[in-house]
Amino acid sequence: MDAYLAAMLVFAGLYALMALGLNLAWGLAGMVNLGLAGFVAVGAYGSALLTVRLGWPMPLGIAAGTLLAAVAGAGLALLVARLRGDYLAIVTLGFAEVIRLIASNETWLTNGTDGISGIPGPLRGAVTPQQFNLVLLGLVWGSVGLVFLLSARLSHSPFGRVLRALREDEEVAAVAGKPVLAFRVRAFALGTAICGLAGALYAHYNGYVAPDGFAPLLTIYIVLALTAGGGGSMRGAVAGAVLVIVLLEGTRFLAGAIPGLAPVQHAALREASVALALLLLLRWRQQGLIPERTLTKAAP
Amino acid sequence: MMRIGRRAALLGTGVFAIGGRAFAQAMPVTFGALPPLTGAGGPYGPAMLRAIQAVVEEANAAGGIPTRQGGRPIRVVAEDDQTNPDAGVRSARKLIDVDRVSAVMGTWASAVTTAVAPLCWENRVPLFTVSGADSITQLPHQGYVFRTQPNSRLQVTTATDWLLAQGARRVFHLAAQSPFAQSSQEVMAEKLRAAGGSVTGFVIYERDKTAFRSEVDQLLRSRSDTVLLNGYLPDVTILLRELYRAGFDGRKLTFAYAANQRTFEALPNEVTNGLITFQPSPDMDSGAFRRLQSRFGGTEVDPYSAQTTDHAALAILAAAQAGDATGVAIRDHVRRITGGEGEKVDNVTDGLRAIVAGRAVNYEGASGPCDFDEKGDIRGTKFRFEVAEAGRFRLLQMI
Amino acid sequence: MEDWRDLLQVLVNGVMAGSVLMLPAIGLNGIFAVLRYPNFAVAGFATIGAFAGWVANVAWGMPAPAALAFAFLVAGVAGLLAEEAALRPLRPAGPLTVAIGSVALTLLLENIIRFAFGNDLRGYDLPVQRDWRFDGIRVNPQQLANAGTALAAAGALFALLAFTRLGRAMRAVADNPVLADIKGVDPDRIARLAVFLGAGLAGLGGMLVGLDTSIDPLTGFRVILSVFAAAVVGGLGSIPGAALGALVVGVGEELAGVILSPAYRSVTAFLAILLVLLLRPQGLFGARA
Repeated sequence: MDAYLAAMLVFAGLYALMALGLNLAWGLAGMVNLGLAGFVAVGAYGSALLTVRLGWPMPLGIAAGTLLAAVAGAGLALLVARLRGDYLAIVTLGFAEVIRLIASNETWLTNGTDGISGIPGPLRGAVTPQQFNLVLLGLVWGSVGLVFLLSARLSHSPFGRVLRALREDEEVAAVAGKPVLAFRVRAFALGTAICGLAGALYAHYNGYVAPDGFAPLLTIYIVLALTAGGGGSMRGAVAGAVLVIVLLEGTRFLAGAIPGLAPVQHAALREASVALALLLLLRWRQQGLIPERTLTKAAP
Repeated sequence: MMRIGRRAALLGTGVFAIGGRAFAQAMPVTFGALPPLTGAGGPYGPAMLRAIQAVVEEANAAGGIPTRQGGRPIRVVAEDDQTNPDAGVRSARKLIDVDRVSAVMGTWASAVTTAVAPLCWENRVPLFTVSGADSITQLPHQGYVFRTQPNSRLQVTTATDWLLAQGARRVFHLAAQSPFAQSSQEVMAEKLRAAGGSVTGFVIYERDKTAFRSEVDQLLRSRSDTVLLNGYLPDVTILLRELYRAGFDGRKLTFAYAANQRTFEALPNEVTNGLITFQPSPDMDSGAFRRLQSRFGGTEVDPYSAQTTDHAALAILAAAQAGDATGVAIRDHVRRITGGEGEKVDNVTDGLRAIVAGRAVNYEGASGPCDFDEKGDIRGTKFRFEVAEAGRFRLLQMI
Repeated sequence: MEDWRDLLQVLVNGVMAGSVLMLPAIGLNGIFAVLRYPNFAVAGFATIGAFAGWVANVAWGMPAPAALAFAFLVAGVAGLLAEEAALRPLRPAGPLTVAIGSVALTLLLENIIRFAFGNDLRGYDLPVQRDWRFDGIRVNPQQLANAGTALAAAGALFALLAFTRLGRAMRAVADNPVLADIKGVDPDRIARLAVFLGAGLAGLGGMLVGLDTSIDPLTGFRVILSVFAAAVVGGLGSIPGAALGALVVGVGEELAGVILSPAYRSVTAFLAILLVLLLRPQGLFGARA
């Protein structure tokens, strides 16, 4: 049970990182990124390939994975930063599917649908599995803390104020002489960098990456986390991520308690309840569970 | 089937269904089932789970797992792997850490199996899988992985040899993107070339698409005498319809997991007639084969549920043999109940009875003799080739 | 590509593949025109239509045309109920929130279908016909019939919009909801009608996909990227655009399958979305953004 709880907390931390990444672009700059799973994949594959194939040390691999995700994010943002929110949703969702297709088909690079196994983990093998869980628990939540602090400073820096101004009214910001495109691209890329970091940590935790792991469902979970927590609020993003894991894991036990259903019906109920939770949260808690105090208008 | 399904469903929810005998307050043994109930593996997972539950029910009726403290009942906890390694890992964590399962069985997608395998060996829990990727048994799994699906090299070698014996020389390979599409292609090309034939075309298609007409055009242009459909149920069903529409009159061969009873329900007979499938199989004169035919009303059980039937039986009999239901004990005793000169048994009831009587057993299952090599791959399995005729499969040959 | 005939065959295949994308894309654009948000739940409506048609055709023994009508009705009603219960309350929060809600809605609908029907593949009770050949070009009668059905449904919608008072009211709301309101058109009623028609057409399209393939709870999900590409290429909100966009995307995906690799067909859909949104957000054929 301890190991299970520790593992779920690691997952919650990884989801929290992704939610913070999503929040940076969405909550601050109003740019939605439904291609989140794709950027997580870039970070995960980047670090996995560099450490496994080229023998890079793990910290360097993780940094490179983060950087790769940032570059991919900046590239996409340069193209699409001016699109309306709902158009951006369509493009980014498609982008993640393209990343998954490339990961599946460019076997020479990614080993295809076989995935990459045997990815090293910090102290893996040197300590017991449970101790390894705890090491990762520290590492992941340490990263969450770090990203949290950095984003908080960012949010209150002039950069953050410009981003919020952009989100509220782009024209006013532009009139104020701010290079709108550059700001939005930087916010988006910072967000994808954090997703890439989460992906890299995920790769070293599980020791394995494969295209199937980066399905759109992951993006739905993180959007759910951020919605539950409140767009624009970092504490909310972290709380939302924990809530998503509680929901995902809790439904296992709840759905199982309903008698007379076939297992496939339990499975359907579980996925349906995640969807329903998101719909209900969108409806009743549009500011999230912990709304950002400084905001006048709910995001997005 | 429906009746079993309902009762089995209760089992899956953790409610004890203890048949026949009373158990002397013995602690239950828990097995974790991790089949895909949603996602791309959805068409397979429910039947795989029902097979596991049916075996466990049978074993409970036969007294459970005998130990010094008396017979221990078995319970199955099922979790959905969502055909997704991320969800699979979380599910496996729960099975291993919360339910304290003695074995995990029924993983399907290679990605899920590869993701879950390290958790299993680190926690000393055996993993029984049907995944096809050759790389799985090459993981450093310390003997904890047992794969009942023959590796793809063996499967494709067997299929190509058979095709050559049937006179095939120009074979077109249509494959869904999978961990073994490429390796299948290499094996087949080499074998055909050696025999003076050739692979006339190799197309890897996108599994989630709904139209494959241009792929079929390529096949038609290649003037092939045979096509190997190396995909899964949804896409192979579409391809079969398309091949019929196009009037392709060559040989159509596919893995038995890509065309089963469901195919007959989704397509009219004139479309499926002549389709040849192959799968690992118990030998024709074995009790296991006869049992397979009588129990499933013909030879129409799909290969994955045949394999999960064996997963459950192997875990139960190994634990019985060991007199101990820990993961380590199961790992160490699987080979003792499958290889060797023991009494041949093809079901858990007979197997448990023989073990209780102190006789050595050699389990032969629904998917074959279940002899594992040191890496956890099966060996010495026969393959059964069947042809679809008027909505049923007829046995063609066993090799 | 060896000769012109192969190219022609690819074009024919593309038109056939595109014609089944047409109705869900029109449904998407119809809803977008009036309510101004991209509804990802058309995937769910398509799956519901496919299963409703299956129940009518296989369980109740209705002929295909009646089953198609039933698919339209059930998907339309389901779409209307889902819109009212789940998405409508989100409208004040803006189109992005509704779009995200519709992603959740489609996951919910997929699992309702899974709960009721399981994951097994199902096929309709129809004979499979051999292709017709015209000078070596093969065309399948079933696919021709599907294309005809799609065109007829699209045509009926055009007629409704062009020649009836209701249609004119719908176009008025799509053009300018405030002005339409002043003129005494009830925008709520029009919105409900648009959702019913849009979801119904998506359901009809879902059954057409099913007639060409077979159905399971993922039927709608498999085509959703292509449907979005069709809608975007044609211009979000443009109904004739969606019809043409579907053909462009259908042909584009087939061409990509032949030139690039069959494993990368979906990339075409994405590139089409990206290019059109960047260069010509009103779509290749649309006049309105």
